Amino acid sequence: MSNETHEKTGMSRRDFLGLASLGAAVISSLTVLAGTFRMFKANVRYEESTKFKIGKAEEFPAGTVKKLDDKGVFILSKDDGIYAISAICTHLGCIVNQVDWGFQCPCHGSRYNEHGKVIGGPAPRSLEWLEISEAVDGSLEVDTAKSVPVGTKLKLYA
Amino acid sequence: MRNRFFLWILFLSGAVLFVFTLIAAYREIAPEWKRYQAQYKEQIIKLAKDDATKKKAKELVPAVQQIYLGTLNRIDRCMSCHMGVENPMMANAKLPLKQHSGDYLKNHPPDKFGCTVCHYGQGRATNKKEAHAATRDTHWDFPTIPLKYIQSSCTQCHDYEMLSAKGYDNIAKGAKLFMEKGCRGCHKLNGIGGALGKKLDVVGSQPIAYFPMRFVEGDRNTYNWHKQHFTDPRALVPESEMKINVKPEETDLLATYVLSLRAGEMPKDYRRIKGTQTVEKPDEGEALYRMFCIACHTTGKDSYFDEIFNRTIPAIMKPAFLKTADEKYIKKVVEDGRAGTQMTSWKATAGGLTGVEINNLIAYITKDRPSAKPERFDFAGFKTDLKRGEELYNIRCALCHGKKGQGGEGFLGLNLRNPVVQGADPEFLAITVRDGRSETSMPPFGKKGVGFTDRDIADVVSYVKTMSKKK
Repeated sequence: MSNETHEKTGMSRRDFLGLASLGAAVISSLTVLAGTFRMFKANVRYEESTKFKIGKAEEFPAGTVKKLDDKGVFILSKDDGIYAISAICTHLGCIVNQVDWGFQCPCHGSRYNEHGKVIGGPAPRSLEWLEISEAVDGSLEVDTAKSVPVGTKLKLYA
Repeated sequence: MRNRFFLWILFLSGAVLFVFTLIAAYREIAPEWKRYQAQYKEQIIKLAKDDATKKKAKELVPAVQQIYLGTLNRIDRCMSCHMGVENPMMANAKLPLKQHSGDYLKNHPPDKFGCTVCHYGQGRATNKKEAHAATRDTHWDFPTIPLKYIQSSCTQCHDYEMLSAKGYDNIAKGAKLFMEKGCRGCHKLNGIGGALGKKLDVVGSQPIAYFPMRFVEGDRNTYNWHKQHFTDPRALVPESEMKINVKPEETDLLATYVLSLRAGEMPKDYRRIKGTQTVEKPDEGEALYRMFCIACHTTGKDSYFDEIFNRTIPAIMKPAFLKTADEKYIKKVVEDGRAGTQMTSWKATAGGLTGVEINNLIAYITKDRPSAKPERFDFAGFKTDLKRGEELYNIRCALCHGKKGQGGEGFLGLNLRNPVVQGADPEFLAITVRDGRSETSMPPFGKKGVGFTDRDIADVVSYVKTMSKKK
């Protein structure tokens, strides 16, 4: 009957059942626990993505400057590559204008040189250079959450 | 014995829980969209022409793709599966990875417009069934719209002229049909139209619950409802009195048009409207007739017994009618309607037509008026006898017009109790009784017909004029 010890393994049927169900319960609990911790990391958030597409590389020929007002970014294209500079003044967050010698904030007169380095006014820091990359579909992407060292330019392959 | 029983219970419940958690974990780890993103990655690596693209494709990490559209109050995650919509490399790929057709995305970047603003569907869903929402168990009012109706989304921002110029003329064609098939005879749009049918102002945004879906064939959604309702209204709404006179291929155009009548407005910086965006009210007589009258009165040349209304619809443009009916009488009918029938009142405070428009309409209706005037009757010259009139009426008129003059529904003759007949000039009524209405069921009762004397006619008419007081 069931109480008989198995000849080879030395384990009774009752012990096997007990262990098996205990094991199932432990694995299930661990999985549930793992799932619970997984919930702390959201797949997506209810907010605008910091990464956005700005169009194909052809739309930014060398020597052009494009200002994306609603995103607060300048896209500058030079012979040696394309780069993005934040247009948000580091003082109080106004959108800066481009002028002959660099960038000027219309609100409190902060001034930045052509590389976004602060050269006057109340601004505490320089304008950030933002990461610009090429997506697999061939369009350029800017991520306002990722800043890059001044002078980092994306060289276009095309 | 007892111990073993509980061990079995523990074993079984443990196993069931185990299986369910495994399924839940699998669904969490391997959702539908991850499969498509893996396919996308694989295809890009295969199709990549240069190493840089290949390298980037290899770096792709599966993630829910989301477009957050604050101003449109939408969140679209469609691109979690439709990865290739913006990628020219995927032009020949299979759905869902295929590139978006045409060059629509050039002027409508998904970052700004998303997908559901044109295509409908549940943007926040992350699996096909719930995102496309075709079946009822997804409880979504606007499933992805079939492409044959997709142009109904364009008018949210564009006018008919611009769309037609680019070849997207389904709505403009549908709007033309709407104007020429007399839909507004029963349905109000922008406050103008008849009162028999429902208002159409935001019918394209009405939820599924607004429509009786019971008899819809196929998926029960508003798109199929409109299409099938234009094909046969009474198949979906058995008690409907709607008249429909369109070719089968025109039902799609009309459905596209009514689906474009939506609630709410797109934000200003999305709109590009310069020309017409909805049907206007014409002021020219023939166009007015087509917009408001043609559904019931058809050509206006022949009266017919309508099976659905269960009454005769008069031929208002026939010379025989126009010979006796003067402008004043027709204008009264148009302005006040005929109470108790389907004929609506069209004055500014009801149907919404201005005096000028009614005059233009009447000028069109009466264009075939014969120049010969009917012979005068001179009703005022008779001293009438109501009692005699009642006797004559009961013998001669009651069969068609009813004992109480109720006429209309189920009778060959029309209702004589309604305000228009009661308020009409007795001279006009007497001439009608004397000469009849040729080509209708109303015979001439004068000397040339039944043989009434003028005195008989005057008595009957005077009796008829008192009928509204009869119980």
